[in-house]
Amino acid sequence: MKKLTALLLAMAMALSLAACNSNPGAGSSEPPANNSQSGEGIPVGGNESAGPVTDPNAVDDNPSTADGKYEIAMITDVGDLKDKSFNEGTWNGVKLYAANNGKTYKYYRPANGNEATDDDRYNAYVAAIEAGAKVIVAPGFLQATAMRKAAVEHPEVNFVFIDGFPLTERADESDPGDVLTNVAGIAFQEEQCGYLAGYAVVKEGFTKLGFSGGGGGDNPACCRYGYGYVQGANAAAAEMGINVEMRYSWAYGSNFSASPDLQSMMQGWYSSGTEIVFACGGSMFNSISAAAAANDGCVVGVDVDQSTQSDTVVTSAMKGLEQSVTFSLDKQFTGSWADIGGAATSLGAKDDAVGLPTATWSLTKFTVEEYEKLLAGIKDGSVSVDADYANLEQSYSNLTLSVED
Amino acid sequence: MTFLIRQTLIYAVPLMLVALAGVFAERSGIINLALEGIMIFGAFMGVLFVNAVQEAGGFAGAKADGNWLALQGFALLAMLAAAAAGAAFSLLLSFASVNLRADQTIGGTALNLMAPALVLFLIRIIANQNVLNMAKGDAAPWFMLRKTYFGYGRTDSMGFWGETFVNQTYPATYVCILLFIVLSVILYKTRFGLRLRSCGENPQAADSLGINVYKMRYAGTTISGALAGMGGFVYALTTANCSANGDVAGFGFLALAVMIFGNWKPLNIAGAALLFGLFKCVAASYTSIDINGDGICMLEAIGVSAHVYRMMPYVITLVVLAFTSKKSRAPKAEGIPYDKGQR
Repeated sequence: MKKLTALLLAMAMALSLAACNSNPGAGSSEPPANNSQSGEGIPVGGNESAGPVTDPNAVDDNPSTADGKYEIAMITDVGDLKDKSFNEGTWNGVKLYAANNGKTYKYYRPANGNEATDDDRYNAYVAAIEAGAKVIVAPGFLQATAMRKAAVEHPEVNFVFIDGFPLTERADESDPGDVLTNVAGIAFQEEQCGYLAGYAVVKEGFTKLGFSGGGGGDNPACCRYGYGYVQGANAAAAEMGINVEMRYSWAYGSNFSASPDLQSMMQGWYSSGTEIVFACGGSMFNSISAAAAANDGCVVGVDVDQSTQSDTVVTSAMKGLEQSVTFSLDKQFTGSWADIGGAATSLGAKDDAVGLPTATWSLTKFTVEEYEKLLAGIKDGSVSVDADYANLEQSYSNLTLSVED
Repeated sequence: MTFLIRQTLIYAVPLMLVALAGVFAERSGIINLALEGIMIFGAFMGVLFVNAVQEAGGFAGAKADGNWLALQGFALLAMLAAAAAGAAFSLLLSFASVNLRADQTIGGTALNLMAPALVLFLIRIIANQNVLNMAKGDAAPWFMLRKTYFGYGRTDSMGFWGETFVNQTYPATYVCILLFIVLSVILYKTRFGLRLRSCGENPQAADSLGINVYKMRYAGTTISGALAGMGGFVYALTTANCSANGDVAGFGFLALAVMIFGNWKPLNIAGAALLFGLFKCVAASYTSIDINGDGICMLEAIGVSAHVYRMMPYVITLVVLAFTSKKSRAPKAEGIPYDKGQR
């Protein structure tokens, strides 16, 4: 009898707790996909009936098919899918392509989240392939090892390696074997949009800059962003005949996530005079914008337009993640995969794949005309941006770089 | 210096409050390992409260008018919501360990495992993201004190005391400190406190004097849950831009360590939390700490590796424990389910 009462009590407790949780959720019962600022989020259910879908938030994140097969798979390396930056931008490309072309798609997260190992990623690949994936979109530099293994074992499946490079059969440099033709390495010329951002903020009047990068200094994309940012800032300072300072650090961003330590470090930067920090990483943005908001500082966003996330965002160094995914998937489904398979595709200003969001930036002194002129300069090669970030620690004409570890 | 004090408080205060939460549970005889889980849950509910009120348009007028007192009221309400959520969550632990006489370590661990999963699950449902943010704006413009609120210009100085303890601080921090003091007094100077502590030392004796041990243990754990929930929200507010993602960076476990480090005594705990907070702050931002205001960041200038600074909080803890652990004494009856028949 006593046991029965106890059991009942336990159940009542669990239920009441569940009820207490579900209430607030129901209270704010707006459609879950309400993050876009565009008010006209037409809830198109991912069908091709209502013309092209342009709002990625109107497309379902967790579609299910009757036979459990999904043609397009996406697998992240670390970080959150919904990081409002790199992973999410890629995922939006997948969703838009699938919605507009009637394809089935699914996201697979490797086990162990931010501590995912190559084995975890490989297992995610296998799960995707078993569920009928014909093409796997894999954003993130850390994918290489797992992807090589999966791509060798499954030559019938194509891999789009965003922020990546072509892979060979073996990792051994002295005996690499053939280049895998089912892997397409898509990279961006991040140094160009970093350059644009650095140039813009110095022209805007900022003289004490900061750069906080993700990936711990090993991530080529983040390194290129940072190096371009330094060069752009230096170029603008040289034109204006002033000197600017830049604090540059990879600390606390190695897995791109927000942390109290990163926030504390940024508090230190802002309170000792830094005016604007380039937040070069997904979720870590939160720590940096919090510190900026506390000190009336500013932030430069990364990868996608982050101006909707915080009032502290002045502008964002964007790369065309959505476009690159659409571009690669189009090659896959129109039978012209050979164009990109086994090759390194690098998208830059000439492909309109990098830039700043002129419509949403809050720059006032740096004008859109100046921006267009600079962008055109990068396109025709009259403004050259060095991509070899090994040269970062050189002496700049008008910029003092202090690298902190 | 100003920066160092401000930042140390931001680290230390959630730790301090949550460690006190641990004291309340353990002094009543229940090991509350679930502090981390309760913090996560409290942080989530607090942020959800802020988010929901903002969505419904509450306090938008106050924000537009710059009525910072009303906004502080809003923060206080969110803290209360988080405390209520934490208290409700901790009832699971009390029920398991008092009524069912289950192993408290396992019960606490179960809550620690459940909280992040449950919170992430709910965040995915509510926000379709992995992080639940404020619906509008950042934490600082809404909840942080600015010198402009007190008639100072942006570039005016408020003097050392004003700059350090008023400008750019969260009043939530001071509410926590006040609460810490009040509750410490209650634990040591009131009848209720004495009874609570007796249940953690010798529940049989307490029972023989007519104290309801079950009730006292429920009270201790519930207060503990409320404090941990509130601490979780204050953590989210001051160090995570008022966002919840099912993670409090291990602060709950750190608080347990601080509690043991502080020998289950409030004053020692406050000291331990401040010491730990200070070194965490130094580790993260030693490149910007200018102690005497001469523009030179001494800790960076002496050229010691960053790793040394990052080890410091833990090395210091080990060293202090090595010297103090001999005197350390846990409540005698903690972890043992109370059984009336066993005398």
